[in-house]
Amino acid sequence: MRKNKPGFRKPFVMKKLKQPQEQPTVDPVTGKKIPKSFVFSRGKIPANLKQLQMDLRKLMLPYTALSLREKKRNNLRDFLNVAGPLGVTHFFILSKTATSPYLRVATTPQGPTLTFKIHDYSLAADIARSQLHPRCPKDLFKNSALIVLSGFVSGELPLRLTTNMFQNIFPTIDVKTIKLSTCQRIVLLNYNKDTKLIDFRHYSIRLQPIGVSRRLRKLVQSHQVPDLRNLQDVSDFVTKAGYGSESEADEEAATVTLSSDIGRVNRASTKSAVKLQEVGPRMTLQLVKIEKGLCSGEVLFSEYGKTGGKEEGDDEMQGEEDAEGDKEEESEDEDEDEDEELD
Amino acid sequence: MAEEMAMAESGRSRRKFVKTQGRKKSNKKTKGRPSPHEQKKVKIDQKMKKLFRKRAREYNSDDEEDEATVTAASETRLLPSITNKRPSITNKIIEEDNIESEDQSGDEGAAGPLKKSNKNATDVNNHSSDDEGEDESEIQPGITKFTEGCRAFKMAFRNVMKKSIPDDMLGPILSAHKKLVIEKLGEEEAERKIKGEAKKEKQTLAEKGHVKPATYLDSHDKFLISVATKGVVKLFNAVNKAQTAQKGLNPSRIKEAKEIRKRTKKAFFSELGKPSLPSIGATTKVTEGTDDQQPAWAPLRDNYMLTSSKLKDWDKMPDKNVSDDMGRASEDSSSDED
Repeated sequence: MRKNKPGFRKPFVMKKLKQPQEQPTVDPVTGKKIPKSFVFSRGKIPANLKQLQMDLRKLMLPYTALSLREKKRNNLRDFLNVAGPLGVTHFFILSKTATSPYLRVATTPQGPTLTFKIHDYSLAADIARSQLHPRCPKDLFKNSALIVLSGFVSGELPLRLTTNMFQNIFPTIDVKTIKLSTCQRIVLLNYNKDTKLIDFRHYSIRLQPIGVSRRLRKLVQSHQVPDLRNLQDVSDFVTKAGYGSESEADEEAATVTLSSDIGRVNRASTKSAVKLQEVGPRMTLQLVKIEKGLCSGEVLFSEYGKTGGKEEGDDEMQGEEDAEGDKEEESEDEDEDEDEELD
Repeated sequence: MAEEMAMAESGRSRRKFVKTQGRKKSNKKTKGRPSPHEQKKVKIDQKMKKLFRKRAREYNSDDEEDEATVTAASETRLLPSITNKRPSITNKIIEEDNIESEDQSGDEGAAGPLKKSNKNATDVNNHSSDDEGEDESEIQPGITKFTEGCRAFKMAFRNVMKKSIPDDMLGPILSAHKKLVIEKLGEEEAERKIKGEAKKEKQTLAEKGHVKPATYLDSHDKFLISVATKGVVKLFNAVNKAQTAQKGLNPSRIKEAKEIRKRTKKAFFSELGKPSLPSIGATTKVTEGTDDQQPAWAPLRDNYMLTSSKLKDWDKMPDKNVSDDMGRASEDSSSDED
């Protein structure tokens, strides 16, 4: 009976799928192109390198594909094809050979490729484990990191290229309009002239008002009723000095006058101390090779001297299409070459 | 029929025999405790022996331990061979057992004789000729009673449990298989070793380069943090300068906007170009410095969206801006942010 009841039928409503908010490809203020990145791996890599890959993705965060899935049969060309429409400008490619893991940083679509040998690395989890109070505020990864390059001497081509590359990896900031509250993390690349190694660190930035006792700061921050049991008078809470700051001397150098409020504690035009705490992956890199193309093309620089001229000739002979198609094999070959050289 | 009858007759007669014997024994018992000599006078004829042996064989075909029990119970002949291994213990036990059984069995001493130790067994044949008539009746009790079987089993079990097994990795196994099993186990062990080594190697290979950081900050890391902090401070100061300059002016009014631009420019350049504070250099890609002639709104600029053209011949002519910054960066060996 009920079934036959005419007239009433639940209208079919097409549900609009919630579209993920599209990220702008261009900075609304400065009009510069926002660099975006893919972090992926080539070949089979062990679990901890996968974790490193994940950490790197988090480091690159707002403008990267956090849950990028790669399959065995995906080759570089697939990523390149996707990169165009998505506006991806940089590739981080992790790979592993018998001697060591490698990180390649490349500009798409035809940018130079820098190959770094990862001498050693620590995961974000390792670092958090080594710290007494690991810190991770929830909006830490909402904004892109700042980058600090240090020790890169001008003049040498490979170094210049490296600095150029890394500066372009993160979005430019406009001093006039930037909000200081968006500066939460910093990536440091420190080049050591003697060892030719690059230290790659990732820190979170914390600001603390100077001249305020720890108790008051905590009170303002946490908004909780303080423990007054041990005090004779309420005024003691304010006047009594707590623990002395552990690094009073350092703070002198690391103080900043803020132009705007950051959080509840750091008010505009007050002095604040800048404190950094390490968060992310830590790597020691060595620049091994620079190629003109994307994982192919003329070798501009090689740590171990020029590789055989044959390779270059081949690359020049091939059209772009071919070069892309053969990328997989080539890159693998090159890895092997490096290994031989290392041995 | 006749035969059956005869059988029945014989059975009855046998029963009678038993009865009579029982009576006899009881009579004896009344006199006193039966001496072991009397009980030794047991004769087992060949047929019955065979039968028992067969039964025993059947019984313990599956287990070693049971053999001991059964033989102990029913076949006295086998006892020495087993007990020889541990004569001190087993003999004692058996003797105890005998005494106990004698105590308990009381009237039915007929079962007792079969429970005798080696001596008795050897004597059996000698005595066999003595009383032929009685033997017929004596044999039947040779089948152990349940309680005694239990005792025997208990004893044997105790025996087994007392056995100290050599601390072999194999544990107790049948000797016939011992070699095979050892071989097999050895093989397995070797295999496992090889596999484990391979796995370990793989693990170390996978872990290559992975370093667990120390819980304290070493000097190098401290240095790095200080460098990074310097960079952050520089940036924040620059931002502060730039943003305080434009404070209080409304950018929507053209006049004030111009004023703002002037001020910020001145402030920014003063911040950047301060020779006394060379460290301020290298805020490389801060946009403000370069685009003063061009419209403020990005899409109106000539090079809007064409910044990637730089990428094409990035290697031939690195733009001046960058190299400038590099130069400045070299002074203090720290360049910051972008």
